[in-house]
Amino acid sequence: MRVVDIAHGRSGDKGDTCNVGLVAWDDEGYRILCREVTEERVAAHFGDLVKGTVTRYELPGIKALNFVLTRALDGGGTLSLRSDHLGKVMYAWLLRMEIEGPG
Amino acid sequence: MSGNVRLGAGMAFWGDSVRPAIEMVERGDIDYLCCDHLAELTMSILAKQRARDPSLGYTPDILDLLRGALPHCVEKGIRVVTNSGGANPRAAAESVVALCRELGLSGVRVAVVTGDDIGADIDDLVAQGVDFANLDTGEPLSTVRDRLTHAAVYTGCEGIVAALRQGADIVICGRVTDIALYLGPLVHEFGWAPDDWERLGRATVVAHAIECGGQATGGLYAGDWAGVDGLEQLGYPIAEVAEDGTAVLTKTPASGGRVDVGTVSEQLVYEILDPANYLTADVTADFTGVTLEEVGPDRVRITGGTGRPAPQTLKVNMGYRAGFVGEARFSYTWPDAWQKAQRGITFLKKRLERAGFEYTDEIVEYLGHTSMWGSRVPEPRDPDLPEVVVRYAARCPDQAQARKVFTESVALYNNGPAGVAGVGTRPPLKELYAIWPCLIPREHVRQSVELLEV
Repeated sequence: MRVVDIAHGRSGDKGDTCNVGLVAWDDEGYRILCREVTEERVAAHFGDLVKGTVTRYELPGIKALNFVLTRALDGGGTLSLRSDHLGKVMYAWLLRMEIEGPG
Repeated sequence: MSGNVRLGAGMAFWGDSVRPAIEMVERGDIDYLCCDHLAELTMSILAKQRARDPSLGYTPDILDLLRGALPHCVEKGIRVVTNSGGANPRAAAESVVALCRELGLSGVRVAVVTGDDIGADIDDLVAQGVDFANLDTGEPLSTVRDRLTHAAVYTGCEGIVAALRQGADIVICGRVTDIALYLGPLVHEFGWAPDDWERLGRATVVAHAIECGGQATGGLYAGDWAGVDGLEQLGYPIAEVAEDGTAVLTKTPASGGRVDVGTVSEQLVYEILDPANYLTADVTADFTGVTLEEVGPDRVRITGGTGRPAPQTLKVNMGYRAGFVGEARFSYTWPDAWQKAQRGITFLKKRLERAGFEYTDEIVEYLGHTSMWGSRVPEPRDPDLPEVVVRYAARCPDQAQARKVFTESVALYNNGPAGVAGVGTRPPLKELYAIWPCLIPREHVRQSVELLEV
């Protein structure tokens, strides 16, 4: 399965840092997110799109994880040459990540 | 004050539609209309306008908004708090006063809050020991000192509170934080102490949930985008805030969109870093305990935020000129569209090299294929691809270099591979502004308030 099967998300910019928030649809989904969507796997999934670090934060009350990706927007919104210079579609790449389901 | 204070989010950026704010003051039951007009880049653009003409430098959409909203605001006693002053709050206020006269409204008190603009004081501050080192890289300010366009401190709600206490109906600020636009009215109405970190932190979570307008009410909703009705007349969010800083979020009555746990959750995680340490000028807010509960149709209760002391330093947003972007895009048709597009890019790069092209960075994107996730997307496997659009862009030191990208691409029309379309008219060259993030100890920053009366 993919992350999109259990969660939705939104992403945006702060300078050259991009954050991707994932929100699980239910408690079981949040448990799977916490287990499967680790900093290491997210870093590998984004590959050279993210030149800095990946840090994960938890917001259990809303069943959400927040990933902070540094040096992730080609210099930041005002400088970036990318079409997605504000990181608005980075969330979708994370929703495509393959993960293991319940169990 | 007993009872709730109702805050409406009117604008989320310069250029946002003004209609949701006007509909909110017409139909919504609110006490304050709070409007954010400033993104990171906006201050650079506004500072450039002010340098050209001292009567400019604010976001003129405030006039479009107030032209429609002000008659209702005056009638219902709704006060407006906005950072549309940008790089020139005084000029914005004078334009608002002129608009009030034109609309035949009298007795309107317009406040100007200043103190965020430290552009003229940088050398003095450096002499006093503020180093303004780059927060991300540690580099000294001298690296970019001669290219600075502006320097603005993300200031807190103190000036807004003072303006409201003096009876202002419209408060026009420069670079206050987005959060301060909402905290100001709450601190004024509830009389919260400036070190009531718990309430300030709780209310900061509420403000964050609604400060991006339609993004909390179904706009940009990834969870169930197809299920949101009425995006064309999206209602903007309203927070009914209680004295303890908790709130119920809703939206303009009889408007499109929706407010539910899904739409609000997505907005809570938008553009945050460490949720336990959400830094603002007024408080360090903690989002980690926040919970949401649906308490009625389009009504979500938000609780569980808290806060700790505000940081001793304030963030400064400086902008500096960082060259120009040269850009070209063209399309290739079947057969062999993918191969032709790559041949076209090779052609362009070789032509640029021969033209002595100078650049620092470049990018190649195939629109419809790699423009979102770049190298993460494999080459298309379809040998029968109907078309490919390719875009080339480069950061260049000056306009003359940036212009070469277009001029060297023109020859693709008759010297390159067959089946090319869309080598178009000369695009305008985009000047780049970079952000220099840094800090200033808060004792160096003083806000002041001036009241103009119509």
